[in-house]
Amino acid sequence: MLRFVGQAVFLAAVLGVLLYLLDNVVYNLERLGIPTGFDYLDQSAGFAIPDSDFRSSQSLLDALLVGVQNTVKVSLIGIVLATVLGVVIGVARLSTNWLVRRAAAAYVELFRNVPVLIIIIFFWLGIFLRLPPITRATEILDLVVLSNRGLVIPWFEKEGSGAAFGLVALAGLVLAVVVWVWRTRRFDRTGQPHHRFLWAGGVLVAMLAVGFFATGRPWVITTPERGELATAGGFRLAPEYAALLLGLTIYTASHIAEIVRGSILAVSRGQSEAANAVGLSDFQRLRFVVLPQAFRISIPPVANQYLNLVKNSSLGVAVSYYEVTKITQVSISQRAPAVQAILVLMGIYLVFSLSIAAVTNLINRRLTLKGR
Amino acid sequence: MRISKVWLLAGALLAVLVLAAGCSLGDDDDNGNGEAAGDTGQAEAGGGGGGGNLLAEVQDRGTLRCGVNDAVPGFGFQDEAGEFQGFDIDFCRAVAAAVLGDPEAVEFRPLTAEQRFTALQGREVDVLIRNTTWTSSRDGTEGARFLYTTFYDGQGMMVREDSGYESLEDMDGETICVLSGTTTELNLESRMQALGVNYEPLAFEDNEPLQEAFVQERCGAWTSDKSQLAGVRSNFPEDQGGPESLVILDETMSKEPLGPVVRDGDDTWADAVNWAVIATVQAEEFGITSENIDEQLESEDPEIQRFLGQPVEGEPFDSGLGLPADFAVQVIRAVGNYGEIYDRNVGEGSALELPRDFNALWTDGGLHQAPPYR
Repeated sequence: MLRFVGQAVFLAAVLGVLLYLLDNVVYNLERLGIPTGFDYLDQSAGFAIPDSDFRSSQSLLDALLVGVQNTVKVSLIGIVLATVLGVVIGVARLSTNWLVRRAAAAYVELFRNVPVLIIIIFFWLGIFLRLPPITRATEILDLVVLSNRGLVIPWFEKEGSGAAFGLVALAGLVLAVVVWVWRTRRFDRTGQPHHRFLWAGGVLVAMLAVGFFATGRPWVITTPERGELATAGGFRLAPEYAALLLGLTIYTASHIAEIVRGSILAVSRGQSEAANAVGLSDFQRLRFVVLPQAFRISIPPVANQYLNLVKNSSLGVAVSYYEVTKITQVSISQRAPAVQAILVLMGIYLVFSLSIAAVTNLINRRLTLKGR
Repeated sequence: MRISKVWLLAGALLAVLVLAAGCSLGDDDDNGNGEAAGDTGQAEAGGGGGGGNLLAEVQDRGTLRCGVNDAVPGFGFQDEAGEFQGFDIDFCRAVAAAVLGDPEAVEFRPLTAEQRFTALQGREVDVLIRNTTWTSSRDGTEGARFLYTTFYDGQGMMVREDSGYESLEDMDGETICVLSGTTTELNLESRMQALGVNYEPLAFEDNEPLQEAFVQERCGAWTSDKSQLAGVRSNFPEDQGGPESLVILDETMSKEPLGPVVRDGDDTWADAVNWAVIATVQAEEFGITSENIDEQLESEDPEIQRFLGQPVEGEPFDSGLGLPADFAVQVIRAVGNYGEIYDRNVGEGSALELPRDFNALWTDGGLHQAPPYR
């Protein structure tokens, strides 16, 4: 009983202190005549954002949304790349090949022990800025233009409305899922090889191809044309984005590799021995016996790394990549009230992190060994 | 036993929390009160002093405390010997020469951009001469009084000479480096919008990555205050082509009047500082330099005689400023006239090589005009 009273008092004290601090902030802001609301989000931004359709007459809220997009752009692709690289390096660390094993270990030890900020700045300053300037850009087969203003590759460009094509693509996706489920069920029933990936992928590609021509080719491919200062057409990968993406990927991969290695080691030796005993090849042993079990163990710590990657993307500030932190910083220096702007920023990262946590928790729950 | 442990823990946690809260609150209050105290402090100094007494205080003390910059080449910096040098520094010396008769009687206080107004409000410096732009909100809310504008600056654009740019309109599609969080960034955007020129901004927090991006031609242009660009240009590394490889376009994208600042409410002091500065301009209008000052003392021109404090019809002219009659002589002997100060620090005679432009005398199409000395 006394224990509960103690907890209640403690909780009340904490809440009281927090309330007091909040009240103090509001009081002081009002005293200094600094606005305490969130109306500032409607103000026009006044600054420009590179690589976006954003116009400086749009509101700060719009600017923030561009920032969110850019954060997502670097985080999602970073997560995918870091996972692939991390798994490869993690498996390589357990290779029986001396050179592969040592190289993987060197990679992990190098990048895990250097602050990610330094890695990002190194890539930007040491590699991407050292590419030839635009006036002496490297051109490969008239398809790719490489300079320190970015890598430009041929890309699709929308011509007219893509709505009809979007519908066909969606239908194709649904159909692919249906085919996937059907092949899986059939495999469960008859034991015949399912090849579900081939089937579903084939259906999707076929649908996309048919849809593309049926709706009158809504996309065309444009190749970059080099002007004097910039390139027109194609898709441009800015050096700032590339440096941030690469830095985050390489750093996070070194951590994921360690988790993968640990998870594989955590799968009992008996499983591998049993796999060998039934005559599975090395690849089959990994693919069907070891990795699925290791995967299960590694989900919670890897999810943690994903969260870190998203949060580390705020280091884009250092190389002038306009993700959400950079946009917030610029807004603050252009008259947005600092306290509110930071609160909004914290809220945005909280949403990011909780979303990732929700997804990984879902996967984790699905894959946890169920006591049957 | 267990309960007491729980209580102990809770108590300790609470204590830490309260302490932390107390500290942060204390800080908040300090900041708040600091500014408030500054404000009331000025009010008192103004109201109670009935015109103020800083002039007497400085003359009593025998040294002038001058708030300056120590990191802008040409304007305020420390040379290899640790001596303060620059355009703003010379005006500190001019004030010291006028008020104390000794240009060396200055105590320089290097201040950052954030510190400067707090230091002024807190009476840490007598005058602030640190490339500070005169704006309405600074005049209104910082308790500052801006005096004669010593340097008319403006935002400019620096490009490589071989780029062939002659105006902003030529820069369509170019990437432009800018320091983020500055008015520069906003000026750039509104100016380019108005001109309908497409450009890509690349904004950095610090000058170092910005310079690196510019050196590597990641961006083809660099925008900032013209005086600062000139400083960067004069220090541009030789292996990158040196200063000659860069040009600053003629176009000016904003106005940045820089000048000395004193506290509100002490008019005698403000007048003294103001006229010490104006004397340099007046001297240039009269053609008086640090070299011909001795000849000019013999001048027949009554205007010059009055300005130099020579007896006209028996009595030296008294302007009632509270300055010695020969203060202008002291100033000119110490630092020379405005043109000399300009040329020596930022003009043709310096590494910056800034043209006079707006900073020429009004008779030469510039903005500098000394109010009549009579």
